Amino acid sequence: MSIKISLLSSLAVAATLAFGTAHAQDNTPDDPRLFTPGQLTVATSDPVFPPWMMDNDPSNGEGFESAFVYALAEKMGFAPDDVVWVRETFDQAIAPGAKNYDFGIQQISVTEDRAQIATFSDVYSQPQKAVVAMPGSAVEQASSFADLLQVRWGVMIGTTDLDYVEQIIGVDEPAVYNDQVGLFQALQGNQIDAVATELPTALYLTAVQVPDATIAAILPPDENDYGHGLIFEQGNDLVEWVNEAIAELQSEGVIDALVAQYLIADPDLPVITE
Amino acid sequence: MSSGLPPQGNISGAAPETEPRRPLPPAKKKLSARDRYLPALISVAMIVAVFGFAGYAVTSAEQWPRIARQFFDLGAMAASFPQVLRGFWLNIQVWAICLFAIMAWGLVLALFRSLTGPWFAPLRVFTIVYIDLFRGLPVLLLVLIFGFGIPALNLPGLPNSALFWGATAMVISYAAYSAEIYRSGIEAVHDGQSAAARALGLSQWQTMRYAILPQAIRNVMPVLLNLAVALQKDVALLSVIGVRDAVREAQIYTAQTFNYSSLIAAALLFLVATIPMARLTDYLTKKDRQRRLQGAS
Repeated sequence: MSIKISLLSSLAVAATLAFGTAHAQDNTPDDPRLFTPGQLTVATSDPVFPPWMMDNDPSNGEGFESAFVYALAEKMGFAPDDVVWVRETFDQAIAPGAKNYDFGIQQISVTEDRAQIATFSDVYSQPQKAVVAMPGSAVEQASSFADLLQVRWGVMIGTTDLDYVEQIIGVDEPAVYNDQVGLFQALQGNQIDAVATELPTALYLTAVQVPDATIAAILPPDENDYGHGLIFEQGNDLVEWVNEAIAELQSEGVIDALVAQYLIADPDLPVITE
Repeated sequence: MSSGLPPQGNISGAAPETEPRRPLPPAKKKLSARDRYLPALISVAMIVAVFGFAGYAVTSAEQWPRIARQFFDLGAMAASFPQVLRGFWLNIQVWAICLFAIMAWGLVLALFRSLTGPWFAPLRVFTIVYIDLFRGLPVLLLVLIFGFGIPALNLPGLPNSALFWGATAMVISYAAYSAEIYRSGIEAVHDGQSAAARALGLSQWQTMRYAILPQAIRNVMPVLLNLAVALQKDVALLSVIGVRDAVREAQIYTAQTFNYSSLIAAALLFLVATIPMARLTDYLTKKDRQRRLQGAS
């Protein structure tokens, strides 16, 4: 009798498992919607720069974005070893077609236009903008947007810095470079006077890449730039699961702690508001 | 009639004096409607079938609606067009100025190389090294090296604009090609021409100026125009050093919106500019060939 019951109940359990598989595994590391079930496959640029990631190695868990991804993975139930990194360019990140990863992270700002083409997670960081200039530049004396309009500007393509310089400061036709290397080569070659970039990037640039350059000022945020989001192939519904994890990290103060650890600027920097 | 020659056309009993010297052209064959229209119909049918199938294959792809939205969005094209057009105007200006400089500097190089006599050995060596060097390097590399490298030297008295140095790199590179084109034109002029000019008492320079060069340049004009078409597109390479040309403006729009339609808009602008150039080149080539054939007969 008892044997019969246990047999029946185990049959019932087996049936539940068989029919409920798809749902039972959702939002677990074995979620079939993952690019490789059992792993969290994350894309980032090559090279990656501090303080977002350290030593051009996303997998060391150091730097804001690397640490953030590992914290996120842990929330989602992945072991650190189950996080797999792939490298891609910015152009590959925004190109149409199937992606070979679950989501990408490379300080991609969320805007209305972009959200029509790609799917973004909730914003995980909203850095301030900063002006980088060489010593002796007129930018150092600037105290208003009117002063900032008097100099030659450069920005990197693919960032929201161009929108910022053109629309918030009102600069006409800043030079636009392919990468940070070109941008700072132009700054050192006196082809441009000022570079607009996100503060964390500016911190690294002035500390390591172009030690001669300095952060001249902090600028107010752009309301149309929502901040950085993770980028998903459009229509990828893993985003809800990821958003839950981001919300948990936020409410637990994990993200704020990472910001404090990696993305903090000198509080004495001048702020130009208009 | 035993000579074994093939029979000549319209030989009849008429007197030899009144016979035309050349055979008459064959009578015009009456084409049946079938012969006249069938080839054209087949051409049209094939074109419709092949392109129709290709179009169907592309548009029936599962991802097509998304690609259409991301690449062929008329709204995005219109939104990006003013910026792209403004950039394209820069392309055209740079192209015209560079083209002029390339044609002039290339000719100077070709003349250096064609100079004979021991006194000019350094010039000849310079030209050979120059051409080997700059024809052997990718233009993109030159643009990067010149556009970023030279301004970084902060040389006093020289401009440090990326546009200036990028355009200089284009001129330096393309002049190496155009020098070789001129040289081939110069070498294609028969030696007798220069011998004749020298016999008239013209100096080496005068021979070159009045006898050789006019013929040489006319010989290579179609090839030079081809180079001009290639240059028109390569001016877009300057975008990598921060110059906001049509391609860069299109990329900026793409980066802002993730929508590639701006690139299609830029592509259309380039086609509008290069296709007439290409047709002109074809026309000149054809005319040139006819001129030569007439000269040969």
